[in-house]
Amino acid sequence: MKAFELIRPTTLDQVLELLPKKENRDRVRVVSGGQDLYTEMKEHLAEPDQLIDLKRLPDLDRIEVDAAGTVTIGALVTIAALAEDLRIQSKLTVVSEAAASVASTQIRNVGTVGGNLNQRPRCWYYRHEGAKCLKKGGTECFSKEGLNKYNAILGGGPSYIVHPSDLAPALICAGAEVVLVKKGSSRSVLLEKYYTLPSEGDVTRETVLEPDEILTHVKIPAPPAGWRSTYIKFKERGSFDFALASVAAGISVDKEVIRFARLVLGGVATIPWRVPQAEEKLVGKKNDPASRKEAAELALRRAEPLSDNEYKVALTKNLIERALAQLGA
Amino acid sequence: MEPVTKGKADGPQWGPRDAMTLLNHNLRRVDGPEKVSGRARYTHDIRLPGMVYARLLLCPLPTAQVELDCSAASKLRGVFAARGLGGKTSMKTGFLGQPIAVVAAETPELAEDAVRAIQATYKALPWSVTPEQALSTEGGKVKDNGNLGKPATEGDEDKFKKAFDSSAAKVEGEFHIPIQHHCSLETHGVVVDFNGGETATVYASTQGTFTVSGDAADALGLKASQVTTIVDYMGGGFGSKFGLGVEGLTACELARELKRPVHLMMTREDEFLAAGNRSGSIVKLKVGADSEGRLIALDGDVMKLGGIGGGAFNKPQYAYSLSDSKPPSQDEESGKPARPSKDGLHTSIRSLYMHTDSSRAMRAPGHPQTSFPIESVIDDLAYQLKIDPVTMRKKNLANEVHPKQLDRVAERIGWAKHPNKTAPQEQPDADGTKTGIGFAVTIWGSHGGAGCECKVAIGRDGSLQSIVGSQDLGTGTRTYVAAIAAEEFGLPLSACTAKIGNSNYGNANPSGGSSTVPSLAPAVKSAAYKAAQAFLEHLAGVVKRPIEELEFRGGSLVDAKVLPDAKEEKERKAGKGPKALMTWKEACATLGAAGISGEGRWDQSLTHADGVHGAQGAKVKVDLATGRVQVLQMVGVQDCGLPLNRTAVESQLNGGMIQALSYALHEERVIDPALGLMLNANFNDYKLAGCQEMPEFVPLIDEDDIGRGPIGMAEPAVTPGHSAIANAICNACGVRLHSMPFTADKILDGLAALAAKGGTK
Repeated sequence: MKAFELIRPTTLDQVLELLPKKENRDRVRVVSGGQDLYTEMKEHLAEPDQLIDLKRLPDLDRIEVDAAGTVTIGALVTIAALAEDLRIQSKLTVVSEAAASVASTQIRNVGTVGGNLNQRPRCWYYRHEGAKCLKKGGTECFSKEGLNKYNAILGGGPSYIVHPSDLAPALICAGAEVVLVKKGSSRSVLLEKYYTLPSEGDVTRETVLEPDEILTHVKIPAPPAGWRSTYIKFKERGSFDFALASVAAGISVDKEVIRFARLVLGGVATIPWRVPQAEEKLVGKKNDPASRKEAAELALRRAEPLSDNEYKVALTKNLIERALAQLGA
Repeated sequence: MEPVTKGKADGPQWGPRDAMTLLNHNLRRVDGPEKVSGRARYTHDIRLPGMVYARLLLCPLPTAQVELDCSAASKLRGVFAARGLGGKTSMKTGFLGQPIAVVAAETPELAEDAVRAIQATYKALPWSVTPEQALSTEGGKVKDNGNLGKPATEGDEDKFKKAFDSSAAKVEGEFHIPIQHHCSLETHGVVVDFNGGETATVYASTQGTFTVSGDAADALGLKASQVTTIVDYMGGGFGSKFGLGVEGLTACELARELKRPVHLMMTREDEFLAAGNRSGSIVKLKVGADSEGRLIALDGDVMKLGGIGGGAFNKPQYAYSLSDSKPPSQDEESGKPARPSKDGLHTSIRSLYMHTDSSRAMRAPGHPQTSFPIESVIDDLAYQLKIDPVTMRKKNLANEVHPKQLDRVAERIGWAKHPNKTAPQEQPDADGTKTGIGFAVTIWGSHGGAGCECKVAIGRDGSLQSIVGSQDLGTGTRTYVAAIAAEEFGLPLSACTAKIGNSNYGNANPSGGSSTVPSLAPAVKSAAYKAAQAFLEHLAGVVKRPIEELEFRGGSLVDAKVLPDAKEEKERKAGKGPKALMTWKEACATLGAAGISGEGRWDQSLTHADGVHGAQGAKVKVDLATGRVQVLQMVGVQDCGLPLNRTAVESQLNGGMIQALSYALHEERVIDPALGLMLNANFNDYKLAGCQEMPEFVPLIDEDDIGRGPIGMAEPAVTPGHSAIANAICNACGVRLHSMPFTADKILDGLAALAAKGGTK
């Protein structure tokens, strides 16, 4: 790990002062739990000169629910705290299940919501310092023709990384937006619009976050009436692994008819992958095997598997059907 | 009854098992508290005044012409040395991860900075890191005369063909077995304590305390007798840690140069690239059986993938015997091969070399690779012939032990009630899963060898010490070194201290091939016996009785003629037996300041070299929607001679099954052929099974194995588990996997292929 200066501000304003201009974006990094960033630093994938430690900021480690039922989650809330929150468990099952599925107990205890949403991609070429791949400023995505069993089947090209976050699909399923703050202003962005495809703009980035911005909160609107949701994550290794594929599913059912549906896929695409056509297909239907199968087929219709990951298509379809079945008629 | 050491007995004997108070019992590890509390000091933990941290630079390409410029690295503050290995600045490398340079610095962090500051230019040479590359004409040549080694062949191809053609059931398959890593929790390395004087101490993470000092002395410019090797605790080796190694040699050279203690432990990435592995294999099998299920034809074509090394493989038929292909006789009912014959056998085994580090010995070298293909084929044949796979195995195992063990495993795992023995489960359960059971067997040697020299010493203060230089790899050696000596006097385990892991103590053999127990235990037993005899002789003079009338019971000196009754026994155990001529403490107090001791060497009569057998079964559940294989239960039965510590034997069985499960479901070295990079040289991407993968383990000691001395249990336990899992997967869902590990993608692809054929629902 390269030596760096650790700065520990105590107010958000101090942090905003320290955030870098675009040309310095790799030299100054913010850190909370550090569960991804420290790994990247140890592997020399990130070599910041300055680390801004957010842990001393007040108030960002809270989960609050207002009278309208809107949930606000501070970026410094740990994944364990999110998983254990009873309000989230009762109203937003998909979010608490996703949080509980992240990595290991140790990592959940330290890792934070903000860090999880902003973690860098998984791809063993990207994660190997010796592979100067597209994602690291090189000219070629090695996974396209290489060993791509774990890579994306959706949203790929020119890079085929997988976005690894479990929280992102779940929060998108719940309709969340994120609050991005910079000196003098702030903006809210739907989480589903927060992530950028490799084909959109800078291939070395995954989000719209500007270098002088910081993600401070996640806001989740009150779910619609009759809302039921779940998160299913399939890991190659049950203990501590990233998803081969995951499904965040939520439906509102009235008189046995689906009135509203949200389906978001994780582990299979370059960004958390919402499948609106499949959602639309479910609305007005009963949650029965035929409509589940139809939705699953639609969700994966645009899948473009690489040489070694065709299996993800069947796997993801099966997970979609299983997730919807779990939500019941 | 309890162990009795009589005066002037005929020589050391293990004695009846039911008379034992420590051996053949469940003993807690004597070093457990040290380990769980963190007090145990491993080589990695050694810190010495003035010590520097050394780190290796590995070649990032499979083969290259390398030019090194270490000047910038040498000039960094806190860096004491930075240079090419052997002082070279230019070299041609032969494998991915070959160590090429070393640095030494004040801290591990500075050492890492210094390694990265070395300016190396690499001119890539044509390489071969996959079998495809090694076999193609464009692939780089590892050896001048080509990448394929000379085959070792057996049998006659024409005779095989004839037998195969006449077979009632035939199976052909090509099996791909990846390279597995040892994954010892402590990486390879040493700490060399040398300040330029006349003695040195080498702390080493090694499987052979006595395999280090000689080479270290050469590198330090000392005599072997001036170098002490210490292996107080070590964090696993599995066959990969013998001798000083390039890392140890380099550390010694640095220590000599810098006149400072040097700490050189390999990083986890170094360990994956340059510290050995279990070789992979590509195995083509053609096997035929007669209508009764006896194997009559086997053609095995094996390529061993051991990098620049040769790799390891056993006989392709492994534990099974072929029968001749004449029609079955009445012998068939006996469960044995009718007429053992090698007529239908034709095998060819050779190495395919690649530009990766050499394979090393790994727990049962060659056996797990050999087991998977043949055990898979036997099940396929059994299914074709509609013969119970357990019965099929019994028909082809040429010994009396395996059939009984298979029956015991089958009984424990619930085989009799299992509905689908020769076909996959027809309809999935309500949760979308199918369940299956599979079996496999294991063989290994039980030999020990001469070399160990143990001393058992009794002190005037009542101390009992069992002293031998042997290392304990984490398998429980320290505990039985103490237990054997304590047992000799009827003392509790806590009364004896084992002093091990030091080359100044008596010689001990390196720990490999499960030979530690049968090599070391007899030496400890002999030493304990001799110490007891010497002590009795001394005490005979003290109590003025003939030695023949004296013996130790429960640690006390007693009159051998007076048989203990229950009450006396209880009191004596409490240390106050009325019939005791002397308590242990009183007896010891009669000794001179030097105490008394006995020295023992390996004694062949205390071991048995006729091999061991085991059988294992696995029950798995396959999720048809995800391809997830969940192992529900693994049962292992193993003969092991006299169990010195039943808990340790069961731990070895469990550990073997765990390692095999991990091999089955997850483990595989992945190298990108185009880039020549290992993509999973870390514990995130090289997946080891974790707690979520663990099934119920049932380790069973084969109680029919009586009358044999103690036998090592490391290797046999690891051989069959993954094969049993492979068979259980096929038994559950019909997918016969020919490639390890058995990951979800392969199961899903297999299920899709079956569905395309209209095979299963």
